[in-house]
Amino acid sequence: MEIRKNNGPLKWILIVISFLFLTIFLLLPLIYILSTAFRQGIGAYLVSISDEYTIKAAMLTIKATLWAVAVNTILGISAAWCLTKFAFRGKKILSTFIDLPVTVSPIIAGLIYVLTFGRQSDLYPILDDMGIQIIFAVPGIVLATIFVTFPFISRELIPVLTAQGTDEEEAAALMGAGTFTIFRKVTFPHIKWALLYGIVLCTARAMGEFGAVSVLSGHLRGKTNTLPLYIELLYQGYDFTGAFAASSILVLMAIIILILRLVLEKKGKKELDIKK
Amino acid sequence: MKRKSIIPGFGISFGLTITILSLVVLIPLCSLVVYAAKLSPSEFLYTVTRPRVLSGYYVSISTAFVASIVNAVMGLILAWVLVRYEFPGKRFLDGIIELPFALPTAVAGISLTHMTTTNGWIGKIFYDAFGIRIAYTRLGITIALIFIGIPFVVRSVQPVLEKIDIQCEEAAFMLGADRKTCFRKVIFPEILPALISGFTLAFARCIGEYGSVVFIAGNTPYETEIAPLLIMAQLQEFDYSAATSIALVMLLIAFVILSINALLQSSVAKRVNGKS
Amino acid sequence: MSDRNEEAYVELKEINKHFGNFHASKDVNIAIPKGKLVALLGPSGSGKTTILRMIAGLEQPDSGDIIIAGNRVNNIPGSERGIGFVFQSYALFRYMTVYDNIAFGLRVKKVPEKEIRERVSELLKLISCEGLEKRFPSQLSGGQRQRVAFARALAPNPQILLLDEPFAAIDAKVRLELRTWLKEMITKLQITSIFVTHDQDEAIEVADEIIVTNQGKVEQCGTPQELYSSPASSFVAKFIGNSTVIKNFDRFKYFEKAEEAEEAILRPEFVAVFKKGESVQYTSSAEKAVVEDIIFRGSNLEVRVKLYDNLISSLRSINEPIVEIGETVDVFIYRMFLLNKDRICLVHNQSLKQESVVI
Repeated sequence: MEIRKNNGPLKWILIVISFLFLTIFLLLPLIYILSTAFRQGIGAYLVSISDEYTIKAAMLTIKATLWAVAVNTILGISAAWCLTKFAFRGKKILSTFIDLPVTVSPIIAGLIYVLTFGRQSDLYPILDDMGIQIIFAVPGIVLATIFVTFPFISRELIPVLTAQGTDEEEAAALMGAGTFTIFRKVTFPHIKWALLYGIVLCTARAMGEFGAVSVLSGHLRGKTNTLPLYIELLYQGYDFTGAFAASSILVLMAIIILILRLVLEKKGKKELDIKK
Repeated sequence: MKRKSIIPGFGISFGLTITILSLVVLIPLCSLVVYAAKLSPSEFLYTVTRPRVLSGYYVSISTAFVASIVNAVMGLILAWVLVRYEFPGKRFLDGIIELPFALPTAVAGISLTHMTTTNGWIGKIFYDAFGIRIAYTRLGITIALIFIGIPFVVRSVQPVLEKIDIQCEEAAFMLGADRKTCFRKVIFPEILPALISGFTLAFARCIGEYGSVVFIAGNTPYETEIAPLLIMAQLQEFDYSAATSIALVMLLIAFVILSINALLQSSVAKRVNGKS
Repeated sequence: MSDRNEEAYVELKEINKHFGNFHASKDVNIAIPKGKLVALLGPSGSGKTTILRMIAGLEQPDSGDIIIAGNRVNNIPGSERGIGFVFQSYALFRYMTVYDNIAFGLRVKKVPEKEIRERVSELLKLISCEGLEKRFPSQLSGGQRQRVAFARALAPNPQILLLDEPFAAIDAKVRLELRTWLKEMITKLQITSIFVTHDQDEAIEVADEIIVTNQGKVEQCGTPQELYSSPASSFVAKFIGNSTVIKNFDRFKYFEKAEEAEEAILRPEFVAVFKKGESVQYTSSAEKAVVEDIIFRGSNLEVRVKLYDNLISSLRSINEPIVEIGETVDVFIYRMFLLNKDRICLVHNQSLKQESVVI
């Protein structure tokens, strides 16, 4: 290891650059949000965050997030299972399509739903007859949220399952275990932490999605406004305390997520070390 | 389609994956394709070559490019510092790199904007000292995109740097190479593919970014109007043809960028894994 | 080895090295004569690689001197000690061609490109890899990679060649070929070479001299024959050869009772197994034992017999009459090592003396 030891000036120059860069670009905005939220005192802050519309917006955000997590967990597990445990044709295409949503601009994600379910679409009359409204309504918001976080969980699971191989599942199958037994007893313990980690990432992105949701939301206060959209509304209306107070909720969530991430990563690594 | 495997559960996992993928991604994407096919070529060309649209592409691409270059350099430094050095606060540094993933883009957007207006913490300093405006200029857009892109390069270079076999460095050292030569000839070629991959992902993401940019951009036509905002504007006017046209070009750009990267990575993989 | 009046070329004096709480080298003293091919042999964790890396300058000893060609080199960087190093996994530069890999050390030293070309083609010829210069390491076989690593280490004309487990990463079949090749190569080049191995067959076959290490200490230095016939410590006696440790050796007939000995060591070549009545010479002094196991070893058979609760191995030629599992056989023990702390003596079966007197 000796040749990698380096305590020269370069080391400290690079460390200082790193700290400065991250402080200016990442920490300062965070501190700024909190300080602006509390600028007019804690009273004003409490009034802002207990505002009826803020709470309604937060509830909608939570709802969309829960949907996204639920759907993407099911998708993530089944996609990871069939992509890593089986060989079949079209595997590469399938995994490309699963990863596709994150490379698409959120605005375009919104656009494709507008084209699919909007007034000009062939589906519109059918859905309208059934009394289902998707665009500019809650289902649209939920769909958009699912879309932008689509591969978040499968992407965490696939590398773990690839590394683990298929030996254990094959052994279990030879002994006559069924799909769910194999999954629960053999596979699940391997992916436990990766799954939780994926859920955390998915939650983070789902709560914060702005672009796609913005396209699909009717921007109705208290109806189809998620928290980020409501923050935009407050900000455009020059209610900075309100906007930053609402933001502080999301900042808090972001910090919790980062801490969870560190904890989960550590747990996952520890488990991997034990296995080795 | 299915190759024989002793492990059960292919049908259910494949079925679930395809169903969810179709509902959330494939069908909406198809509707985009169907809609795009209905566009008349002349109308399409007219829309996407309008000076205002061209300038939108230019603003999006140029700011994303500059931001990604900055992130490539800083990401390399950050990854290096995090892998090779021990110092107090290392875990903290490692932890906050993911902040842009966790913090909602809109929240980051309003915070960066408010900070960099000529009255803001940072903006005031720059305006008073150098006469430089940050918010509502392309510089502001670039800064927001740097914020968004930080984790991409770090997270793609970091694991590769961790995995470099110390024996390779020792071999270079035994043959008389100094640190600089060793970095240039041995380490850098190892991390270059990951660096390019991180750069490309950041670049693609930044071109489509909306939430964090829309506030700081100021959205002056021909100056700071980004392409996703143009799509948004067309959507609000219910001009779906125009929106789709602009989106198609953006998708094409993203596709080209990601394909170049994929080709590059596979040619590198060929060289390293010996399949020639 | 130093007592053999050859001038030491590489010398380690009173070397100590810790990694945290782990004492990796304990008072290591070794001397290696010029031009010899020396093996550092020991179980994993015995500190053999640490010794090699300290000679190379990849690790710094906590105390002691490293002397090369009469000069103390502790403070000289490894790259200036005139050493070529072949790494365990070869550490070829993946992004460089074979040519660039071999040329690396010369380019760093700013050797003119023309000379580099000559040297590289000379080396490629030496390792019989002409025509592979444009390939990348991934396009080579394991054996070729090892040869390229060897050529790369030799390119700057080192005085000493160090090899860390040079055969560990190769298939068994190629390994044997490569061993012979490497020995020929090193003999031809007359370069002082030290290699690390945990495989005693490899050390015995390839090396002129072997340094046995255990728990950070040097147990013995000597030629393979010396290690074999006169082990200096109980560790060496047990480690070298296919040794069986016997606790109740005093039950064996026709051996002097050694009061202070704690255990005895038997090797297959110390033992002969006969079918009943097969041998006339030692019938009276042979022990009776039952065959427990027979292992086919290609050119011969390893017969394991149970004698006073010890499983003892012996070799029989495949041309001799076949013995079977469960068969009662005569076992004659020619000699054994008796161990007492670190005193070792070879004792012979006394019936050999008596019978030779009779005859």
